Order: sequence, then structure tokens, then C-alpha cells
Amino acid sequence: MRMPHVRPDRKADREGESPVKQVLIAGIGNVLLGDDGVGPYVARLLSSSYSFEPGVEVEDLGTPALDLIDHITGLDALILIDSVDDGLPGGTITLYSKDDIVRHGPPVRMDPHSPALTESLLAAEFVGTAPKEVLLIGISGSRYDAGCQLSAPVQAAVAQVVDHVLIELDRLDLSYEPAQNKQSEIWWDDAPVASLAVS
Amino acid sequence: MAKRITIDPITRIEGHLRVDVQVDNGRVSDAWASCTMWRGIEKILEGRDPREAWLFTQRFCGVCTTVHAMASVRAVEDALKLEIPANAQYIRNLVLINHGLHDHIVHFYHLSALDWVDVLQIPKADPAKTSSLAESLSPWTRNSRNEMKAAQDKVKAVAASGQLGIFANGYWGHPAMHLSPEVNLLAFSHYLQALEYQRKSNQVVGMLGGKTPHIQNLTVGGVSNAINLDSQAVLGMERLEQMKVLMDEVATFVQQVYLPDACAISAMYADWFGIGSGVKNYLAVPELPIDARATQFDLPGGYIPGGDVSSVRAFHSHADDQFRQSVLEDVTHSYYAGKTRLHPWKGETVPEYTDWQADKKYTWVKAPRFENKPAQVGPLAQVLVGYAQGHPLTRKWTDAALDRISTVAGRKIGVAQLHSTMGRHAARAIRACMLAELGQKHWQLLVDNIAKGDLSIHNPPSFPSGTIQGVGTHEAPRGTLSHWVVVDGGKIKNYQAVVPSTWNASPRDIAGAHGPYEASLLDSPIANPELPLEVLRTIHSFDPCMACACHTFDPTGKQIAKVKVL
Repeated sequence: MRMPHVRPDRKADREGESPVKQVLIAGIGNVLLGDDGVGPYVARLLSSSYSFEPGVEVEDLGTPALDLIDHITGLDALILIDSVDDGLPGGTITLYSKDDIVRHGPPVRMDPHSPALTESLLAAEFVGTAPKEVLLIGISGSRYDAGCQLSAPVQAAVAQVVDHVLIELDRLDLSYEPAQNKQSEIWWDDAPVASLAVS
Repeated sequence: MAKRITIDPITRIEGHLRVDVQVDNGRVSDAWASCTMWRGIEKILEGRDPREAWLFTQRFCGVCTTVHAMASVRAVEDALKLEIPANAQYIRNLVLINHGLHDHIVHFYHLSALDWVDVLQIPKADPAKTSSLAESLSPWTRNSRNEMKAAQDKVKAVAASGQLGIFANGYWGHPAMHLSPEVNLLAFSHYLQALEYQRKSNQVVGMLGGKTPHIQNLTVGGVSNAINLDSQAVLGMERLEQMKVLMDEVATFVQQVYLPDACAISAMYADWFGIGSGVKNYLAVPELPIDARATQFDLPGGYIPGGDVSSVRAFHSHADDQFRQSVLEDVTHSYYAGKTRLHPWKGETVPEYTDWQADKKYTWVKAPRFENKPAQVGPLAQVLVGYAQGHPLTRKWTDAALDRISTVAGRKIGVAQLHSTMGRHAARAIRACMLAELGQKHWQLLVDNIAKGDLSIHNPPSFPSGTIQGVGTHEAPRGTLSHWVVVDGGKIKNYQAVVPSTWNASPRDIAGAHGPYEASLLDSPIANPELPLEVLRTIHSFDPCMACACHTFDPTGKQIAKVKVL
């Protein structure tokens, strides 16, 4: 776990400027499909392990389509955590910039609801509300079949993914500190309930 | 010469829709719809607590979250024969209505309008003419010349930069695009405005559901929204009033912008009222119960066989026996082993993958059948089922839409022409107008019921020791959704979700009958096999959603259509 980061005063605190940076740390992916759930997993781990300064939100967004636009509109910075399909060994971490994400333009699609990260960023950009800073922390998956658990190599990469998020917060000059006594929020990672009150 | 076109934007991981069409002399002579990923995620539910199933099912897909949550709690409540309080019905209905409005608006403007609207024609438009055209169609207050000019300037800037961004990879300049520059601009200015209004609907879902895309406020037996009219912390009058303001704004947008646009654009492509009919057996379940016991509904359900609206059969409850008994899933052409036809309560999900084989197995989608026949589901099915039963609200908005369309088209477009690609778009706009009106009604029902002093939101479930089974139905934005659950000793033994896109994207069955997507493509014109816009138009008109799969980001970009000469 990284040490608490105490930021010095920054320009934005001065009079006449917006004092609070709006930042979203979002985990994206399907928690029912193995390593695709790494984004939500890390997001929930972050929100139960750290407290962040006002303006910084951590969200498990699941699998949004174009409504991702609503979540990213008007942000100063967006940090996305998502599994990536790049053929690299499971657990490999690759950082993508906004340009990397939108480079190929939106796909022409049969299914208008497929993952819409590229479209959402481009649409927000078109209407002038895209986040100023975007970082995608991509984790190569190795297992995407039905199941609520991460594969061993992806699980082993989780701590490093968390570090990448914190490093980005440092770079953005945002503070955080370890949270006390917060419960794990990763509800899907439990074994099936053993029993239930039966009447 | 026959050609086979494979449209497959799919990566290794994402389970999405692939369509293959065979083209002879510029027309589709055969079609196959397939999904490239196994949707066996229901398996995860086995052995779990049925009270928690909805948390998992709403993760099937990020677009349809609320609908899978709703069908799941209803399925367990049906198994328990557990009624929910009236307040819970109204709160659920408001979530469903606002989710549906968000979905329909986004589908029309952001996911399918650009099949018909050519963005690159917009710089040629005259904003003043566009504004007067818009004002002739609707009293909407945001149709001014300045509004049109601002939208046009955005497109001009993007076009001048050479970086089309969100509009790269469109089928611009395709011969099947033929709106005037002014109509293109009009539609596009509303595309931008629609981004604001879809968000308002989602805000209402978030205010009731706690968050989107995955709501938090359901429980088996009701909802978890504590009610206290004087409190700001829970559901009180202040929050209800905020919701009402948002819902009124969306209702105005839907009735003054979406419906007029859908009618005008469809009328300008009136030949598409004669293309894309396909399967004419229509299925819809009743939705928006108006009493605690769910005996009366504001959206009617039923079944129309063979496109004959006079032979409609009504479903009177969520527990309608016709529906429960008549649904089977056929796996003749799907990558599953086992018996060909099974009822969902007995459903098996044992994968048996082969390659894509045109005359054998070619998809991961099962083929649901109603009375052994394929059935089309979605807003068109719902509108026709309601119209056929003389449902006043359906008649009101359908007649209004058909009048508008006929006026612009200069010829009569009637109910018979709704069996088509454009009919599906028109029906979705009609349904949106109905939902907007019903949203106001159900808001009032909730407020009035609370005012009577009823603050009840939840009836606790209690599980018997033996085996029980239930079905939860929901008429979702994409059509009839049903979750089928078997519970044994308080734990889930079997769970099957028969989703709308499974009905519509289903493959052939044992009798060789095409599924609705496949049938709708037969005989469609194809101007240019390299750019199969016509196929996209018809498939998009169903509002497909195969996203019950992964959302993995694919950094490489993929081409979409491959053409093979046979």
C-alpha cells in the first residue's frame, strides 16, 4: 500500500478558480465473466481501502454503453480500469491515453449496444464536454468464461493496478489516505450462500 | 452471381451479433443471425440465494440492467406467490418507464438515426430553411435558426479538420441515403439535444434506483426506498417534485421532437414501410401493473399469430398460463447439446461448439418459440398487440403517428405498413409517447397512495422447504423478457433468462423456420455488398442488444464486412 499523499496548495485553490477538481475513477467490465470483472473489482477495492479528497469519485460502472457519456461529462480527469484484449499474457498492464483509445474511430456495428468507450469519449469530445485528462489502465485477461473470480495472473496484478491509479492521482496532485475499517464491497466474489432461513 | 456477406464486427472475446446474408442480383436470398459468445452466465446463479439473484442478473448487460433486475425479483415473487405493496409497484414502474424512455431516445438518435441521416450533407443546409421546416412540424421551442446554425457549425468544424471523430466510419454518401441537407441538419440538431434529454430520464432512474447503470433499490417483496414525505434524506415530496420536473421535460421532448422526427424521417423513406417485415407472429407481455396484486396493467400484452391483428389473444396477468405453457427453447441450430426443445424451467445449458455451419449449428443463441413458432418481440409487437385490443392510449398515439407519416409521405400509411423496418422505428416512437404519458400517471398514483397514508414498500419473503418455480416477465425496451427460476430448499436450482434479443436473433428451428432478424432480411435490396447499409438498417430497427457479454476494450479496431463470392 502506498503512503498517504498530502498535496501542497495548488493553483486551483486560489480565489476565482474552481477549488475542486472533478475526477472519476471508474472500473468497467462484467463481473460475471472472469477477468472481465477486474475493473469493477479494483474500483471497489479502492473505495474500501482509501479515502479520497472531495471531487474524486470511485465507481464500479459495470458494463455501460453510450450512457457512459453521462458519467464522464465535464470531468477534469478520468481514470478507467478495464480488461483489454491485446493478446498479451494475463495480468499484463498497459496504459492507454485518450488518443490511443479513439485512434481507430468508432466501429460500425451490428449491435448498437456493444461496449462504447470509444464512442462515448468521441461524443463527449464533439459536444465539448470530454474529460481534460484520460488514462485507461488496461489489464490483459486470460479467462473470460462465466464465473465471478479473477484468474490467478490477473489477481496477482491487482495490487499493481491500484498503484497505477494512485500514481496517476499523485500526478494530478490529488490526495488520498488509507481508509479505516471499511468493509470489502466485492459482493460477487463470495462463495454461494451456504444456507438460508427456511420456514 | 451469388455473394455471401459476413458482417461481423466481433473480437475474440466480445460476444456479439454476426449476420451472414446471401445476395443474388442485388437482393438478399438467405440470412443467418448468430451470436459468437456463449451466454451461459445463468449457471453462476445455481446454488445462490434467490433474494440476491437480481444483483447478479442485472450484471448480464450494462444496457439492460434494470430490466434483468426487475424480471428476476418478479420470478422469485411468482414462485413464492408473494404480492408486493402498491407503492413498490409504482416505484418499479417509474424506474421501468424512465429506463425505457432513455433507451428509446438513445436508440433512435444515437444508435440508428445515422443509418438514415447523412452527416456530410449538413454543411450544405440553409439553417433558416431548416428552422422553418422544423417549426412547421412541431411547436418545440428549440428549433430556432440559431440552434440549427450552432449544430451546423459543429459539423463544419469537424469536417474542416478532416478528423471526423465520432462520425468516422459512417456510410456517408451511400446511394440509399437521400434526405435533403435541411432534414439532415434538423435531425442532427435534435441528436445533440437528445443527449441532454436521455440523461434526464437516466437521472430519474438514478434518483429512485440509487445509481445507474446498476440500480440498488429492489428487494424480493418490494423496494427499499423508504418513504417519508417530509424528509429530504429518503423518498419525500422534494425529491418526487424534482423527478416530476425532469419527467415533464422528457415528455415534452418525446412528444414534440422524437415523434415528429421519427414520423418525418420515416415518411421520407416511405419505401422502407415495405421492407423488412419478416416474422409476423407478435408477442408482448402485460406491463405497468396499476394495483398491488398486478391484476390490471397500463400496457396490454398478448399474442398475434401471422400478422392478423383480428385474431389477437390477450394475456391478462404476469402469470398468464398461455405464456407459461407455450414457451420452448429449440437448440437444433445452436451450439448446445441435449434435447431439441425444452421448457425454460427444464432448460439445459450444455455447450457443444462446432464451427459456423450454415445448415447445421451456427450460433450461441437458443431459438425460443411460442406455440412452436418464432415470434417477433419489441415495441412493434407491443403497439400491435395493444392496437388490436382497442387499447385507447395505444390507438391515440398510433393514429397520431400514422396521420403525420401519411401527410408527409403524401400517401396513406396504415397499420398494415407497420410490419416493416420503418414500422419498428415508428412503433418505438409511439411507445415512447405512451411511456411519457404513463410516467406522469404513475407518478400521480404514487403520490396519491402515499398521501392516503400508505408508506408500505416491502412484504418479506419466506421460503418453503420443497421445490417451487416461478416466472418473472417484463416488457422491456427491446420486448418480452422472461426469467424462469426453480428454487429448492431456499436455493436456486435452475435459472434461465429468455431475453428479447434471443427471440429476435434466434436461429432457424427444427422445422427450418427463420428467426425474426433472419426473416426480416429476406428479399431486402442491397445496393453495394461492400457497404451493406440496408442490412444494418433492418437489424438496427430491432434495437438488438447482445451486450450480455464482456465489455473488454479492443485497442486494434476491426473492419466490419467481409464479402465472399460463392
